[in-house]
Amino acid sequence: MISSPMVKIWLRQVSRHFLQTVLLIFGIALGVAGVVAIDIAKTSVSKSFELSTTVLTSRSTHQITGSDFKIPQSIFTRLRTDLGIHSSAPVITTHVFVKELNDASLTMMGIDPFSETQFRQFSVLAQPGSGNKGLANLLDASSGILIAQKLADENGLKQGDFLTLTFGTRQVKTLISGTLDSKDTRTNISLEGLILTDIAMAQEILGFKESITRIDLILPDETTAGKVKDLLPDGVVLVKTDDQNQAIRRLSSSFETSLTAFSMLALFMGIFLIYNTISFSMAQRRKLNGTLRALGATRGDIFYSVMVEVTVYAAVGSVAGLALGILLGKAAVLAVCTTVSDMYFVLTVSKTHIAATTLIKGLAAGVASAVAASLLPALTAARTLPITLMQRSAAETSLKKHIPRLGMAGGFLIWAAILTLVNSNLGPTYDFGGVFLIFIGAALLSPLAIVVIIQIMGMTAKPWAGVLTRMALRNIVRSLSRTGVLIASLMVVTSVYIGIDVMTGSFRLSLIEWVDGHIGGDIHLSASDQLSPSLPQGLLEKVQSLPSVGAVSAYNTHRIFSRTSGEVHIFSYLADLSEKQWTWSAHGQGKIDSLLDQGWIVVSEIFARRNQIQQTQGASVVLETLEGSRSFKVAGIFRDFFMGGGRIIVNRDSMERFWGHNDITSIQLFLHPGQAVEPVMAQIRSFGPDPSSLKMISGAAIKQNILGVFDKTFVITSALQILTAIVAFTGILSSVMALLLERTRELGVIRACGAQRYQVGALLLLECGLAGLISGIMALPLGVCLAWVLIHVVNQRSFGWSYDMVLSPGIFVQAVSLAMVAALIAGIFPGVRAARTDIGKALHME
Amino acid sequence: MLKTIRKIRREAFFLDIHLSKISKSYSDSNTHRSLFKDMDARFESGSFNVIIGRSGVGKSSLLNLISGIDLPDRGKILMDDSDLTAMGDSGRTVFRRKHIGFIYQFFNLIPVLTVRENVTLICELDGKPRKTYQDRADQLLETVGLYDRRNDYPDTLSGGEQQRVAIVRSLVIEPQIILADEPTGNLDLETGRLILEMIAQLTQKNGQTLVMVTHSPEAVNYADRVFRVENQTLVVQPSLYSKD
Repeated sequence: MISSPMVKIWLRQVSRHFLQTVLLIFGIALGVAGVVAIDIAKTSVSKSFELSTTVLTSRSTHQITGSDFKIPQSIFTRLRTDLGIHSSAPVITTHVFVKELNDASLTMMGIDPFSETQFRQFSVLAQPGSGNKGLANLLDASSGILIAQKLADENGLKQGDFLTLTFGTRQVKTLISGTLDSKDTRTNISLEGLILTDIAMAQEILGFKESITRIDLILPDETTAGKVKDLLPDGVVLVKTDDQNQAIRRLSSSFETSLTAFSMLALFMGIFLIYNTISFSMAQRRKLNGTLRALGATRGDIFYSVMVEVTVYAAVGSVAGLALGILLGKAAVLAVCTTVSDMYFVLTVSKTHIAATTLIKGLAAGVASAVAASLLPALTAARTLPITLMQRSAAETSLKKHIPRLGMAGGFLIWAAILTLVNSNLGPTYDFGGVFLIFIGAALLSPLAIVVIIQIMGMTAKPWAGVLTRMALRNIVRSLSRTGVLIASLMVVTSVYIGIDVMTGSFRLSLIEWVDGHIGGDIHLSASDQLSPSLPQGLLEKVQSLPSVGAVSAYNTHRIFSRTSGEVHIFSYLADLSEKQWTWSAHGQGKIDSLLDQGWIVVSEIFARRNQIQQTQGASVVLETLEGSRSFKVAGIFRDFFMGGGRIIVNRDSMERFWGHNDITSIQLFLHPGQAVEPVMAQIRSFGPDPSSLKMISGAAIKQNILGVFDKTFVITSALQILTAIVAFTGILSSVMALLLERTRELGVIRACGAQRYQVGALLLLECGLAGLISGIMALPLGVCLAWVLIHVVNQRSFGWSYDMVLSPGIFVQAVSLAMVAALIAGIFPGVRAARTDIGKALHME
Repeated sequence: MLKTIRKIRREAFFLDIHLSKISKSYSDSNTHRSLFKDMDARFESGSFNVIIGRSGVGKSSLLNLISGIDLPDRGKILMDDSDLTAMGDSGRTVFRRKHIGFIYQFFNLIPVLTVRENVTLICELDGKPRKTYQDRADQLLETVGLYDRRNDYPDTLSGGEQQRVAIVRSLVIEPQIILADEPTGNLDLETGRLILEMIAQLTQKNGQTLVMVTHSPEAVNYADRVFRVENQTLVVQPSLYSKD
């Protein structure tokens, strides 16, 4: 297939241009690594969600749950005595912080050891001689808990050690009475985030008294389910376990969608980078291939040698990329899982799952992009007349002839992609397919754009431009077949940077606006004990009477269960001073209050999306109330960045009637201008006998906390931005090195004519800077387009957030600067090499 | 006639080129090759010197040494009182820019610069004001019959035309020395003859020292002195030596 002289030539080429070969392989590796790393993060988060819920939900078919996720324990007794359902297990689950584990958040699960056998299979290990009675170990030890053997090993814990659990303001010292283990690896992984204890002990820790979180059931048929429903008091509901898990699955899919988006962006960048490096390598070999053809090499010799060579590079680069991607992926998993755990208290397991499909996808991206990039040059080399191949200008002439056609094709692709994006609702994958089409369209348009921009620059610079500037400008157009690919690749990378920056920047601004308008207030008061959230009676009047306080907003909030959204926060205001941004209202914004008084409700954007509430008159939603399931008319939808199942606002009467709460759980204080926060806080502390029962936090601290969470959420995007910078740098370095090699003789002539070293170096740097500037300029519209897709498609579909795109000049200056600086930095090494050109050798180079 | 004029002008110009005990060798990982050993030579100012010799004996390398592009392992390259070997890279570059013009076999014009820009490239690199060289550049282009093509790019010119541009480029800074490396090697006989004639006329008119490496027998007819590179040194070719 490939003859030995061709192999020899190839190997000599590699040894002569070793650095370039390394850069080429690194370029492929980097492209693959980006794809693999983000894909690993995506699959790992998905798997972690799955594993985190596997053990907790067990084999149950149904669950009984209630408002504020607290139901009377007596229901469990009645299930067994009245209905004879013995396949039932009472459960208490909550998240606690463990002092000895650096305040790590773990899920505490209170179970009844005797009811568990049908639901969950825990294998308990105990120290020899201590007597292993399985789960019954929990009953023997006072304050006994079980933790995963692996968790114990990792933290040097053993049976008999103490762990301090914190829940709200309560702290309880518990004793490790055994460890949990399973032969099943998946179960073992999910056990790592778990603290198992006896249900009575959990009740004591949480102060639940006669309450539990839920009852797990294995019901044989719907008839039995009907009987259970009839037994349940109002406000307590029977749900299918699968439905209950839907909420968590949705949460998982939010992150998956978002990470899919980033994975695809990484893939795009990877493909462009690989295309860039390979096409440069191919362009360089054009003359050599022409000579070989002239000397008698057949078309097949040339074609196969090129393809084999590229495939070898691609394979080596892709394998290296897989290794690098796995390393980066592990870091990404840790970052994402920490974020999710911090935000939702759901994910306590953070394991790196490397799926075979991820590795295949990475390999395919590397090899396919490289092969695709080399296919056309290889075919051209095989088909073109040797003399044409040997004339470098022929490649440029051919490209220049095709510029209008390429531009038209690019324009058509962009137009088709925009039409698809605007009109389709097929899902993020298709939307990103559209973005990819736009990228390709823009890449096809880039030669035309480069020529136009260079002409404008040339005309603008004419009065003052020196010979080096003129040469740099014209060199870009002269080598359009190379610089075009370089600039297009850099354009794609820069547009990804802009897209992410505009998205996060816009989101941050909207979030700040939302915090200021919606949460507002100078001081926030709530109860320290999450289990008794009501504030003391009379506190509202006392704080209102403080001279520093100008206005007060008071409300109560409770958690209810929604079949579609899972946990939902329901609010009712005594006085509401927040400024909500309405995305829709039934009879105009002014009528909201009167509609609330008529028993309508107002829902958050996330809740509306989850419940598919149409923004039309007569929209309604069914909620579980003390009076059973009830339909509520929707008066409006407000913009909300609160995570979870969403929020609902009802008026005070509805709250009391349907959910039985007329308390106040939170107070926002608006101080008179110029009043300091701390003295007012001190005054409030002096009101009550137990200051620690009140949780006081300043508005500024809340804002800081929310923005902190925001920054954590977007840590993966920052990583992607760093990746874009590295990709940009590598791409340019590789390309400029290749260009330098081609132009050695020309640079030698310039030096021989009397150019100083720094002048030759400056010429190279100038060309790099110009390429960066041009790609930066071209990336602006593309970046805005990407930002639009990220904001209006990905984020809205992933998290249900909507916000306006904010375009600040700073972002564009930053992006264009990034492209230029990356190009200039990448140009330093080639610039220095150019300056050190051996003039004598250069003059005799072909 | 040309030689007579050259002899008269010779008196008025400086910059004799003196190669003193020059040794130069090249090494790579496998081979060591000695090009010159204790070579002495003198090119008088305003003279037309031709260097001949077999391929690979170091003719082009000698031009590189004379121009300061390369340095000898030992010995001195003196331009009157200036010792090129004692200068740093920057000094040699400035010297080259001010005193030496180059003409190459493959023309070596910069493809992205127009004819006029190629001609004025060195002056621009030197930071000279445009008015100081523009007229001279145009005048020289007029002389070689390419003024009308001044705004064209090199790739639209024939080989002979490109070499004429290269000649003008080498002359525009009014250097005392012109180094030509097989300037007719890439041209047909007739064009080659015209180019030789042009180089000879233009350099003698300005009294410039010309050192030309060539395989062209015709070039010998224009030369004041003919040297041959052999046995790692430069010897005067007696049979061709013109006593003028």
